[in-house]
Parts: sequence; C-alpha cells; structure tokens
Amino acid sequence: MIAKRPLVSVVDDSESVRESLPDLLRELGYSVRVFSSAEEFLASDCVWETRCLILDIVMPGMTGPDLQQELTVRGQEIPIIFVTAQCDEIVRTRLREQGAVDCLFKPFSDAALCEALNAAFRLN
Amino acid sequence: MGRNHTGREVGLNLDRQICDEVADNGCSSERHIGLLPQRHRDRNGAAAEDRAATRVGLGFAEVAAKVGGLIRQGFPLPVVLTTLCQHFDATVHGCSSSVLLLDRTGTRVRNAAGSGLPASYMKQLKGKRVRWADTSFGATINSKTPVIELHPVSDTLREEAAPAAARDLRLYKVSPILSVTGEPLGIFAVYQRESKADHPRFHSAHIAQFTNLASAAIERMRSDEALKRSAALLERTQQLSSTCCFSWRAKTDEISWSKELGQLFELDAAEVPVTLELIGTRIHPEDLPSFHEMIERARSGVSDFEFEHRLLLPDNSVKYLHVIAHRTRDQEGVLEYIGALQDVTHRRHAEEALAKLRAELARAARVASLGVLTAAIAHEVNQPLAGIVTNASMCRRMLGIDPPDIERARESASRTIRDAERASEVIKRLRALFCKKGVTYESLDLNEATREVVALSLSELERNKVMVRTELAGELPPIQGDRVQLQQVILNLLLNASDAMGGIDDRPRQIVIRTERDEEDRVQVSVRDTGVGFGPQGADRLFDAFYTTKSSGMGIGLSVSRSIIESHEGRLWATPNDGPGATFSFSIPSGPLTTAVAGARSLGAIRTSTATGAEERHVRSL
Repeated sequence: MIAKRPLVSVVDDSESVRESLPDLLRELGYSVRVFSSAEEFLASDCVWETRCLILDIVMPGMTGPDLQQELTVRGQEIPIIFVTAQCDEIVRTRLREQGAVDCLFKPFSDAALCEALNAAFRLN
Repeated sequence: MGRNHTGREVGLNLDRQICDEVADNGCSSERHIGLLPQRHRDRNGAAAEDRAATRVGLGFAEVAAKVGGLIRQGFPLPVVLTTLCQHFDATVHGCSSSVLLLDRTGTRVRNAAGSGLPASYMKQLKGKRVRWADTSFGATINSKTPVIELHPVSDTLREEAAPAAARDLRLYKVSPILSVTGEPLGIFAVYQRESKADHPRFHSAHIAQFTNLASAAIERMRSDEALKRSAALLERTQQLSSTCCFSWRAKTDEISWSKELGQLFELDAAEVPVTLELIGTRIHPEDLPSFHEMIERARSGVSDFEFEHRLLLPDNSVKYLHVIAHRTRDQEGVLEYIGALQDVTHRRHAEEALAKLRAELARAARVASLGVLTAAIAHEVNQPLAGIVTNASMCRRMLGIDPPDIERARESASRTIRDAERASEVIKRLRALFCKKGVTYESLDLNEATREVVALSLSELERNKVMVRTELAGELPPIQGDRVQLQQVILNLLLNASDAMGGIDDRPRQIVIRTERDEEDRVQVSVRDTGVGFGPQGADRLFDAFYTTKSSGMGIGLSVSRSIIESHEGRLWATPNDGPGATFSFSIPSGPLTTAVAGARSLGAIRTSTATGAEERHVRSL
C-alpha cells in the first residue's frame, strides 16, 4: 500500500504557474491542489490537510502575506514558500523573518523549489 | 496785512528812491564801493581788530573773489556767509549784518550767520518762522523787496523778548535774498546800535551788492549740494542695482565711464585712458567677434543697442554683463551713446542653476516613471517565464526517466510554448504602448486603449491592494488621437488613484474605470477611487505643475496629462465623490479632427509634402 502523499497547495493568480507547477510537484512525490486566490484557498476543505503552501505574494484582493497572517490568527501554522514575480530582496528578507520557509523569485529552477520543499518538510 | 503793508510803503519807496539815485548817478557797483568809507569799527576787541586789518580796504570785487574762493575750497555755507558779513561790517561804518538762511520751504530760519551780533540773538533766530506778515522779515519775504525799518529787534522775534545783549540793536534794513527764479533763499539784515545814529541810507547800493553776493553763494552751495547728493544717489543706485554708466562718442571713440565701471572691468580709469582696445582685452574671447560686430553697427549710428556679453578677467573669473545704450547727439551734434551696463553674473548663475535643477528634475521624473515601468514589465514577463522554466524542468525529467515518458514530456513542452506565447504577448503590449516614434494621430478605440493600460498596471495596483473594476461602454465611437499619450494619461490617473488610497484601511481600496459616450458625442473616461480625495483648496491647484500631496510624487503627472488632453481638444477635470475619494475624468470629441487641429497636426506633413501643402495651408488659415 502506498503511503498517502503529503499535500502541497499552490495559491497563485498566474495561470502559467497554476498550469506548470502541479505536474512537477506530483513528479516530486506530492499531491497538489491549486487555487487562483487566497480567498478560494481559505474557503476550500484542504486547509487542514495542506502540509506546505506555495503562495504568490501579489494577488488581487487578499495578498500572500495577508493569508499568512490569517492562518497565524487561526492557529494553522503551515510552512509557506512564497513565490513572486517582483524581485525585491527587502521583501524576501522580511518574509523570512516573519517565518516563511523561503521566498523564490520567478522564474525559479526545480532545484531551488526542491530545496525549499525539503526545508519545509523538515519543519513538518 | 493792510495796515502794515501800507505802513511800509514809505520805507519801500524810500529804498527804491535810493536805488534810483544810485542808478541815476551811473555808478557801477565797484565804483560805488570805492566811494564808500572803508572803515572798521571794532566791537569785539583787539583780536577782531587784527582779523579786521586784513579786511579793511577790500573792494567788492575782491570780497566776491574771496567768497568764491571759500566756496570752491569747500568751506561750509555758514563760514562763507559769516565771512561775507564780516566784509560788509568792515566796509560799512557802524553797522552789523547777518544772513538768515531759510529752509527749503522758505518759511523758517535754518541757520543764521553774522558778524558782530550777540551769539544769543543769533541762536534765538534759528528755527523761527519768518512769514509773519507784521514783522520786517515776513514783510521782506512776502513782498520780495527790501524793507527799511529803524526799530528794536524784538519785532523780529515776535512774542519773545530779545536777549539783553541785543536790546540796543536796531534793525536798519532787511533785504530778501532771492534765487534767480525769485525763490526766497534767505534774508540779509543790517543792524545798528541805538547809540550810533548815522543815517545809513547811503549804504543802500552796497547792501544790494552783498545781498546779491549772498544769493550767489547760497545758490552755488545749494546746487553743489544737489549735485553731490545726486552723484551720491547715482553711485548708491549703481551699487544697489549693480549698474554702471558710460558714454561713448562713436566717431572719436572717446569713452567716459563711472568709477564703478572701471572697477567692474578691473581697469583703473584714472591712470589709463579708456579705449575700445583696452575694453577688448577684458571681453571674453568667445564674445569678442559679436562685441566688435555690435560696435561697428553702433558706429554707423543705426539705433540704440542692447546686448549681453561676458568678461574674462585677469584672475580667469567670468562676469556676465548686460549693456543698454541710447543713441543721442551731444551739444556739437556729435553722435554719442549714453549707456548703462549691468552686472548680471548672479542672475545668470541663478538661471543656470535653475536650468540644471529643471533638467535634474526631469531626469528624476523619467527615472521614477522608468522604475515603476520596469517593475511592471518585470512582473508581467516573469510570470510566463516561471511557467517556462517549470515546464522545461518537467519535460527534462520526463525524458530522463527510463523509459522516457514521452506523452508527459510533450504536454510540458506544449505548456512551455503557451507560456512563451504569453511572454510574447506581454512584449507586444509593451511595444504598442511605448515603441512608437513621435506623436501620431490615428483613429482609436478608447475602450481598447483603456483595457491595455489596465492589464499592464494590474500588478502595480495589486501590490497596493487595490481592486480595479472596469465599466466599459458597449460601443464607443472612435476618436482621433495619439495612443501612447492617451494611454500615459490613463496610466497616470490609475496610479494617482492607487496612491490616493495608500493610507486607506477602513474601506475597500477600489478603482472604477469607466468609459462612456456623452450627449455631445464625446468619449469620456473616468477613474473613480475611494482615496483621500482633495480639499477645496486642492481643487484649484491639482493641475499645477509641481503641486503634489504625495510625499514621493513629483507633481508633474496631472499637469502633463492635462496638456496632452487639451492637445486632443479635450478636457481633464476632477470632482470629489459623494462618498470618499475623487473622480478624475477626461473627454475627447469623437469623429474626425476639426480643421484647425488637423491643420496644426499636419504641420510636419506640410513641410515634407509639397503636393498637399497649398491645400493644408488653406485649411490652417481658416
């Protein structure tokens, strides 16, 4: 019997990312759910199940950091890997200080993604 | 007035009679003096006698020369007048004289100079009004003729007791000292001691001479003073305005200039005669040709001239000068330029600093908007790039396993292509926005232009947590305009709206961008925000260049936007919302351009196309 694969949720308004990441993540051994907004994710039934969150920073409505804060308030500490198309070292540093596993700048390599995921699951 | 005036008629007539007698005798002034006894009565002891010894025997011509000498040597007026009185006293037996100097209004005694009169009395006269008609002084000034009296001096002081030392003085004759134009300058008063009972009627012509001399002395002193004051004023004004003056006779090249001008050129005008050649040595070499050209033009006497040039001084410092010269003719009819020259170095430096600052500001504005733009482009392009990299990684993995999973690799490759097409689309949009050269007017759909701008600015707006809603009209008539410029205006309005909501946390940050067609067939675009809005005082200044309420803004955006919209014959305005925030709108006429604008816009085309030139010009002139 195959052990249940840990769930990684992807929240990003970019269609390119929502299309490409799931396949790779599944190949890396995770099960995947994708959401186009933070609100959609919070409304879903897999918040408790999610072991790692790959989260875009800039989104219409609720942003990535907003979602992070909301989860903290709810007492749901999910390891978060931020991904952003805005290359800003200051933001990256601040997000790490606030408990994010990592912050990857788009486009990022599969190696960088693996490394971040490994770090996230060490926390688990 | 009547009684006193009448009372003095006798005296006046008597005086005139004496004058007439003198005239009838055909006596010239000098000869007359020569006939008079030239004796001196000592009233002030031995010292005075010593001084007097030098005076006795002087004829009137000599007195006049001596007084003139004192004036030329710059002695103060009281000294000159005192000397004059001393000479009078020395030549007229038994009399003392004084000159009362009137102030500029001719109504008060400014100073009193005299010889052989009690100091206390002289002092008392100072500041006294002289226009009392019932006094001898007043009468002589009012009538402008000499008055003969023989009564105590207390009369002259009116309502005040004369000092004890002057009690036995009798005022014998007072004469007005008049300027050549008849203005009262002073009073020449001759006194006698009561004990001396000589009738002094024979001194009348002598008194007239001294009165004239006093008049000349006072006038000369006054004009000297006025000249000095005027020169001082000129000098001070020149200093204040950094201006110097000069005159130049174009034919002979005689130049005279003010001291300040010599200082400005760092030439010592006192030692060296000023020549054009000498001036040329100070002119900045680059300005020398235009300087010579100016001189030649002026020499031909065509007109007044005005030009600016630089000086290069021995210490290599540079000064900027502004020269204005007026063409005139001197008394001999020789062409002469009278000019003023102003040192405008400070102004030039300030202007240069300002120009530099403006350039820096413009550059900063460009860099600032470039920064925003770069971030927006990077964001848009990085999204599909992320997909490309992830898909390509996936593809490689699928090909790397044994056996290769060709189907999944193909799927990844297809997604890669799709992302690349998305990236290409972004680039295309950017090209449409920014790569056009010059200003081009074309028929365009403002809905489409708006959509493109919204798509491009979404990421920036999202970063600021702003929701954008578009309410575009179903069908809009096309307008004629420059796509890039109009899109810049829309982008500016969107970013402004976003900035206005930066500090808003108690309500949604929302922008509604709306297009519609108004009743006059204009196309209107409005951007409504829920931001801080603008106060009543802000409304007037919103569109001024450099007016900004933002801590990081340049305040250029709205003024530039308005000028763009106005060049499209449109209007840009702002209105406060009923609720929070403000709405910025612009409207542009739809359909073909009006002739005037079409003509103006075709200016470039006219210059290059001769075939349509005549027709276009005709249109423009309408």
